[in-house]
Amino acid sequence: MSLDPEDDLLAAEFALGTLDAAERATLAARRQREADLDAAIVAWEQRLAPLAENAPEIPAARDFLPDIEARIRAATPTAFARIAIDPVAAMQAQLVRWRALAVAASLVAAVVLVGAVGREATRPTEPHEFVAVLQKSPDAPAFAVSVNIDTREFTVRPISAPAPVGKSYELWIIDAKLGAPKSLGVINAADITRADKLRAYAPAVVADATYAVTVEQPGGSPTGAPTSAPVFYGKLVPVGP
Amino acid sequence: MKEAPDTSQLRPGGGQPADLVDLLARVAKRDSQAFAALYKLTQAKLHGVVARIVPRGDTSGELLQEAFVKIWEKAADFDPEKGSPIAWMATIARNRALDEVRRVRPVSLEDMPEGFEPAAEEIDPMGARDRSEKLTALINCLESLDEEKRQAVMLAYYRGYSREALAQRFDKPVPTVKTWLRRSLLQLRDCLGS
Repeated sequence: MSLDPEDDLLAAEFALGTLDAAERATLAARRQREADLDAAIVAWEQRLAPLAENAPEIPAARDFLPDIEARIRAATPTAFARIAIDPVAAMQAQLVRWRALAVAASLVAAVVLVGAVGREATRPTEPHEFVAVLQKSPDAPAFAVSVNIDTREFTVRPISAPAPVGKSYELWIIDAKLGAPKSLGVINAADITRADKLRAYAPAVVADATYAVTVEQPGGSPTGAPTSAPVFYGKLVPVGP
Repeated sequence: MKEAPDTSQLRPGGGQPADLVDLLARVAKRDSQAFAALYKLTQAKLHGVVARIVPRGDTSGELLQEAFVKIWEKAADFDPEKGSPIAWMATIARNRALDEVRRVRPVSLEDMPEGFEPAAEEIDPMGARDRSEKLTALINCLESLDEEKRQAVMLAYYRGYSREALAQRFDKPVPTVKTWLRRSLLQLRDCLGS
């Protein structure tokens, strides 16, 4: 075999799934250009794959077929012509994606919360000031959002968000109770933005929601719904009484 | 629970899962009805694979959807000579789940919902009669590994444990676990004779 033995072992661990995030991403990128590495990963996957036959069946919580079909239609509009277009299913699929994102964001927020919980226990009153760091990954904060839960005024401070060329950043509030994401307006990439658009929402929703930023055409999304996937997101944590 | 789909075709012991091979071939030709049938027959199995790696219900449902979109896109790549349809589909679903758990790092093991921490990962003895030849061979090889090493491989495969999680689990340094895993994988390959 011409493949380096270390690479073959990395391929084996990739297939087993034990590499850490960085190693896994590196190997995923390398296999795109290195055919023998890709072949080694596939060979290891095939060796281990029979184990899947023994995995227990756990039915999904609901029938996801309409959502899956809507996604396929969205990606290749002509390919799925034999199934009638169902706009409700398409919207649901979009919503599911946003909800999944909210779950991911809550995991990121949980890291911050670990520090906050101790203080929470000793505080006699309900918190009024909240802050969220909107980011793509824990080491790349882009915006800080602070919210006063009483007035529901919020302030967005850019931390390290590169200004999108010829585009605008738009802030969204996402919560299952709201259905679709709701716009909180265009935010400034270079300066502080203040607004009171959260007044429309109940304090409990404001405190629990996920906040996300998308890149939209100048002035914001023309449809009132996000037109692209979020580039930064996060959840609020209480910071003061 | 909804009506249970007939999953008898998923049991390789009952013969070649010819219907799944046929369905995948039709999906490769963009047959959406075949795709719907494939989904109904395999969703519980694939969700089982994903949900044990990513136990949160909303995330596992999301990943299941992404896996099926990918199965639709890649159906033409499936080669029945190289493995069973369910093994091929499960590999797609599992890779997606692993990408997810490696990307979003849990705060700690406490992040797992209660009751989800597996005591041990055992080969299901009741599944024995349904095993395919390939699975039987693999299980025989796994049984030749030391108990802890076999457990490590099984927890990695079925639960998505990383080296770090395994090190915590077995109370060993990470490099030791890395050596275990690599030796075990090479031993499996030699045992399988490929």
